[in-house]
Amino acid sequence: MYIRNRLIFRPLRSRFAGTLKRVRRSPIRALLASVLLQALWIVPAQGQKSEQQEPDLTKLSLADLTKVQIETVYGASKFGQKVTQAPSSVTIITADEIQKYGYRTLADLLRSVPGFYVSYDRQDAYIGVRGISRPSDYNTLVLILIDGHRVNENVYDGTYIDGEFVLDFDLIDRVEIIRGPGSSLYGTDAFFAVINIFTKRGRDLKGTEVSLSAGGQESYQGRVSYGRQFTNGLELLLSESLNDSKGNRQLFFPEFNSPATNFGISRDADGSRFHKTFVSAAYRDFTFHAAYDTWEKHIPTGSFGTVFGDSRTKSTDTRAYTELQYQHNFEGNWVVDARAYYDWYWYDGVYVYDYSGAGVQPFTLNQDYARGDWWGFGLSVSKPLLEKHRVTLGTEEIFNTKQVQGNYDLQPYTPYLFDQRSSTVAAVYLQDEFSIRKNLLLSAGLRFDQYSTFGGTLNPRLALIYSPVENTALKLLYGQAFRAPDDFEIYYHGVGFATNPALRPETVKTTELVFERYFHKYTSLSASGFYNEIGGLISQTTDPATGFIHFSNSEDVHGKGLEFQLVEKRPSGWEGRLSYTVQDAHDQLTGDNLSNAPKHLAKINLIAPLIPKRLFASFEGQEVSRRETVKEEFVGGFFAANATVFAKDLFGRLQASASLYNLFDKRFADPAGNEFLQRSIPQDGRNFRVKLTYRF
Amino acid sequence: MAPGNKTISGGAGRRRSSIKTLCRRSFLTFLFALTLSFWASTLLAQTTAKEYRIKAAFLFNFAQYVEWPPDTFKDANSPLTYCTIGDDPFQGMLDESLNAKSVGTHPLRVQHLKQAENFQGCQILFIGANEKKRITAVLETLKQSPVLVVGESSHFVQQGGTVGFLSEDNTIRFEVNLDVAQRAGLNISATLLSVAKTVINTAGGK
Repeated sequence: MYIRNRLIFRPLRSRFAGTLKRVRRSPIRALLASVLLQALWIVPAQGQKSEQQEPDLTKLSLADLTKVQIETVYGASKFGQKVTQAPSSVTIITADEIQKYGYRTLADLLRSVPGFYVSYDRQDAYIGVRGISRPSDYNTLVLILIDGHRVNENVYDGTYIDGEFVLDFDLIDRVEIIRGPGSSLYGTDAFFAVINIFTKRGRDLKGTEVSLSAGGQESYQGRVSYGRQFTNGLELLLSESLNDSKGNRQLFFPEFNSPATNFGISRDADGSRFHKTFVSAAYRDFTFHAAYDTWEKHIPTGSFGTVFGDSRTKSTDTRAYTELQYQHNFEGNWVVDARAYYDWYWYDGVYVYDYSGAGVQPFTLNQDYARGDWWGFGLSVSKPLLEKHRVTLGTEEIFNTKQVQGNYDLQPYTPYLFDQRSSTVAAVYLQDEFSIRKNLLLSAGLRFDQYSTFGGTLNPRLALIYSPVENTALKLLYGQAFRAPDDFEIYYHGVGFATNPALRPETVKTTELVFERYFHKYTSLSASGFYNEIGGLISQTTDPATGFIHFSNSEDVHGKGLEFQLVEKRPSGWEGRLSYTVQDAHDQLTGDNLSNAPKHLAKINLIAPLIPKRLFASFEGQEVSRRETVKEEFVGGFFAANATVFAKDLFGRLQASASLYNLFDKRFADPAGNEFLQRSIPQDGRNFRVKLTYRF
Repeated sequence: MAPGNKTISGGAGRRRSSIKTLCRRSFLTFLFALTLSFWASTLLAQTTAKEYRIKAAFLFNFAQYVEWPPDTFKDANSPLTYCTIGDDPFQGMLDESLNAKSVGTHPLRVQHLKQAENFQGCQILFIGANEKKRITAVLETLKQSPVLVVGESSHFVQQGGTVGFLSEDNTIRFEVNLDVAQRAGLNISATLLSVAKTVINTAGGK
């Protein structure tokens, strides 16, 4: 029996009988596994405002213009390439769509992406991709990059997509969602997908911008940004954001419906706030980025066996980084990218426990925390060779100088855990894009990572891209990826828990066939089929001899699926996307289907220009079929819809939008992890937001 | 796991789920009907924003290598006018690229024509791929007017256009029909011709 769920330990509660007993008792058929399926898509990426490096093309000579690549996706190969030539299925979402669809967070955006779904447990939001969403896994199976900088932290390996995402969403210029294994270029976490985010630059703001929004649940957000490009070429962007929300002030959980727990009603315990700062400065080939984000979320669900409805239970996540990047295109199309960075992660959780079970104050405050510091550097060189090759060679070193986990009771002070580690990762990678014939491309990549914790891992990717006729691509892809066991999984120990230094990475082998076709300059269709073999999933296991719980590589999961997407973008402003995914994933050993794995996903997105270039209306709908919970029950499928009206350049300077989320007030719930007594967590009903952005 | 182990919500829930299945089916049917309708419309030419930025830069450059007949401009400060027909394939990027720029003494100006009748005031006319059906008619109307007609459909210059863009190896190239240019009284410099992928010139025999 095994449970994979790190959250369950976060407040170290092995001695808190309630929770643990619940865990032991629960039919731990592990479902927790998850697995997945997903797919491929293609977007013609119109309307994107800027590329990785965008010189003023009108300054180029005619001869040079004939050499400019019509690049659209950067993250799939670490150089700009046409989406149809990328060794992956790619979706691109631009700042323009973010405004028009009224996306507030990365979670909102990912819900609209073909093959993706998101579950929210009122503390964190979890990405499901290719039919796999492991409960409470902190999104470790997806790598998120901001301007090429790795966001996943070094204790839980997590990457957070709700309010705790590092960036204010308004600062995003473009999001590339690159499906499939990416470890051959990026190493750990690039397991099911890489989400590559580009931030806006100084020139995109041209002055000071103030944005204010207000929404349901007494949510308010403000942002002040300044950006411009100076005549000497220096580009600067500074931004500050604040957010405060009361959350859902009254939540009802039938599982707690008893007089001792306020009849299941959790009042005023769902609030959140954040503070985000972002700085970007660019001069010639150098770019400096610094980001800071701190997010506090109260937990209304009584998870981890905490006192239900006590609003003091909350978690605070803080993430910061600085990075200096040098990027230059040398004569002969050499592209050099060098970067050095320093990163921080702090997590502080306060969990309120009633150890005696008598229900009388004072309760005990348990403090759970993590501290991560790390720095690193990366270098990649990409160069066309022998006419038919484009070779990319790179290296990356990460020094985890501090990886701390701790847990104690505040009053009386009782320490349960203090664990401090450091570790290193060193990697080299090589990729070659070989144009075998004019219409046949082979992309081959290989990366070797050496970890001080478990040793080495080698991950290849091969893609054969055939274009039988113009505007049609057939891609055969094979890749392997891994996720290194994180600090938490290897070293967490305490009463009832044991470390496992022998833990190996979990791995996936993905085979995928993608068909992409552009019909018309505005229309594209793609279809893909994929097969994933996931081995050695890191799951929680109880040692029958000692009764201690530890993590082990104990599950194998196979998943397969089909995905279809149709995209239409017209210059008149009409845009639409339709997609459908059918997927299946199950545990190889037990044959069980995975929890939180919907068989069907269908999405529709539509933007209509009400007044050309001025006023737009958008609609999006997402159908998610029923999902199994970790307690082997089902939550029903649902169709949720959002609508936004967006006015651009009012009086030349004002952008205004009004959005309704969960338009039809649909009642639905997301499966919960094992740290919950609830089998599922009800989601918010209809909600709204109005937003004004003024540019001085 | 045996299905019997699972707790499934009661009868009402099941009824709801059959309605849901129905909804899902109709949604899918709708999706596939749309897919099919799009399959039916086939006109080839994949494009991206970047592609149009490159094309806008080409158009800017072209003006520097073409000489119009002396009577084209009223005076030295008259604008040089770029025109597009129908929906703006540049989505504003041509306006952006040419903004506040000039060629020689002529400031640049962009006009987006809805209908293809009054392009006598244009010096450079761009016919996007979505206006392919109108190419013949437009060229017919223009005949030998001193307008540099630029297109992006396949065989554009063979059809009588002056300059045609091509996509090749993820880059943009172009072809020139020098015969047409000469008939229109346009003098195209050798620099521009040397960069062209092909030049149609029956008179000069190139």
